[in-house]
Amino acid sequence: MRRRLDVRRLTQYGVVVVVAVTLNFLLPRLMPGNPLVLIAGVDVGLLSPDERAEIVARVGLDVPLWKQYLRYWGDIFTGDFGYSFRSSRPIVDMIWDRLPWTLLITGLSLIVSAVAGVILGAISAWRRGTKTDLGMLSGMISIESLPSFWLGMLLISIFAVQWGLLPSSHAVTPASGLAGWAHMWDIVSHAILPVVTLSILATPGVYMTMRYSMLETLGEDYIRTARAKGAGERRVLFGHVARNTIAPVVTVLALRIGFAFGGTVIVETVFTYPGLGRLVFEAVSGRDYPVMQAAFLVFTAAVLVANLAADLLYPLIDPRTRTS
Amino acid sequence: MTVADSRERAARRTARRRSRIPTLFGLAGGLIVGILVCGAVFAPWLAPYDPTERVARPFLFPSSEHLLGTNDIGQDLLSEMIFGARVSLTIGIVAAAVALLIGTTVGVVAGYYPKRLGSAMMRGVDVILILPFLPLLIVLAAYLGRSLLNTILVIGVLIWAEPARIIRSQVLSLRSREYVLAARSMGAPDRWTILRHIVPRTGLLATGSFVRAVSNAILLEAALSFLGLGDPIQKSWGSTLFWAQSRGAFLTPAWKWWVLPPGLLIMLASLGFALIAFSLEERINPRL
Repeated sequence: MRRRLDVRRLTQYGVVVVVAVTLNFLLPRLMPGNPLVLIAGVDVGLLSPDERAEIVARVGLDVPLWKQYLRYWGDIFTGDFGYSFRSSRPIVDMIWDRLPWTLLITGLSLIVSAVAGVILGAISAWRRGTKTDLGMLSGMISIESLPSFWLGMLLISIFAVQWGLLPSSHAVTPASGLAGWAHMWDIVSHAILPVVTLSILATPGVYMTMRYSMLETLGEDYIRTARAKGAGERRVLFGHVARNTIAPVVTVLALRIGFAFGGTVIVETVFTYPGLGRLVFEAVSGRDYPVMQAAFLVFTAAVLVANLAADLLYPLIDPRTRTS
Repeated sequence: MTVADSRERAARRTARRRSRIPTLFGLAGGLIVGILVCGAVFAPWLAPYDPTERVARPFLFPSSEHLLGTNDIGQDLLSEMIFGARVSLTIGIVAAAVALLIGTTVGVVAGYYPKRLGSAMMRGVDVILILPFLPLLIVLAAYLGRSLLNTILVIGVLIWAEPARIIRSQVLSLRSREYVLAARSMGAPDRWTILRHIVPRTGLLATGSFVRAVSNAILLEAALSFLGLGDPIQKSWGSTLFWAQSRGAFLTPAWKWWVLPPGLLIMLASLGFALIAFSLEERINPRL
């Protein structure tokens, strides 16, 4: 999985953007039923013909499809995602309100899962075939089968309800008037359970990559050479194995950022955490289609940034790609 | 005992264990899946009540009549779990079949014609793999509306890309094998070569990706149902959790019989298929 940023990749990312925007444009217009319901959020049956024509003209459904499409692109480039059906606020503002919370919990959970995954994966590979390896491997496969929302619900039932240790929802205590350190602790205590949930869920991916990548390195000739010339185990592990294993792991980590972002839809919903993922859930259950679409574009952008980061980081870590 | 001796022994011990892990996982997975499938098939005989009937007062605690208590409208939760297996497993298996059908077709065509057509197709696959998966799934499901068929379709058309990639790489190597070259050099038409020589050889790999897809599809169905995007009539394990969440069951002692069992069942089902997939994958391409 060697990565490099070249023209082909950039084209690919361009295509991804076009596909995402086009999907967004076409879906509400091609679905069965009246597109007015999906695009303007109004109940068609209650309108007089005049009102109807007025709304059709206002949301721009009266011009040919290709013109609508061009206008849609223009709106996106100027950062205009329209207004929410429900709150009538500009969607861009809603996204800016929510984004920091999502960044906070995904960022923290990525760090935790990266550290845990790399360490456990290395131990597992180093002791391949032993009981430790078997135990860790089956544990990680089991975690991969956990429904994410269920894990969140269980943690709430146990830590928030049963033991009353941590808050079960929201990002801060509403109208608490806390300031300074108390306020900081308030934010941290609200973030703990969502971060733990996301971290548990993201660890197996890192673990699996680390384990396989390290097993592959352990089978390489230069490891046998290092052993043959009498290098100690510690020297082999840190000097030869670790350095050659880290590149694919960093790539996977960078790519996970995008995935972790998408996964917040479910975890933030369980914890009523006011991030972007929860916004998607609210938009879906309130049939607030433009908000849902804008959030989808933000998630797409996040994945692309993660991919770009992976492309740029890889040659720095693995010098072999620089010459090829 | 010399150092070399002990090294060799350790190596042999590792080799033996290496071959045992996939078998062990495969057996465990088979057992789990077998039990769950039996539960789904024999649901009418196993379930004590009709899960759609209101048989008792709502929110009952577990008792000898209702082993897992009752839900918010007085339906027996144990019966709901047993019948839920039918919905969850059916959606998982059918959605994976849809994914396998698309994935195999794309994989075989892209692998057999690797130049223009194939590389164009694989670029398309790469684009699909980059798109943010879960948000896309939710957007599609929200527009399509809530029904069993839509859930299956949405999941199926989003998870075929990985099988397509795996099958393509197998077909790429198969098409340069001698017997394929022989068939082609004697003027066999492409369609015949593909159906007679290529497709049957992808069987084991396709089975592996199918089982893996079932495991994923079960989790995705649960997530969609939990977000309120599942079929409102057919109650899967995920929809039970949706109702448990919206009635706040996880904030009361009821979590032990209303939240714990459906989640455990989803996990077991997904895990069972994942273990089988793991053991198949290790058999085809040993990495341990």
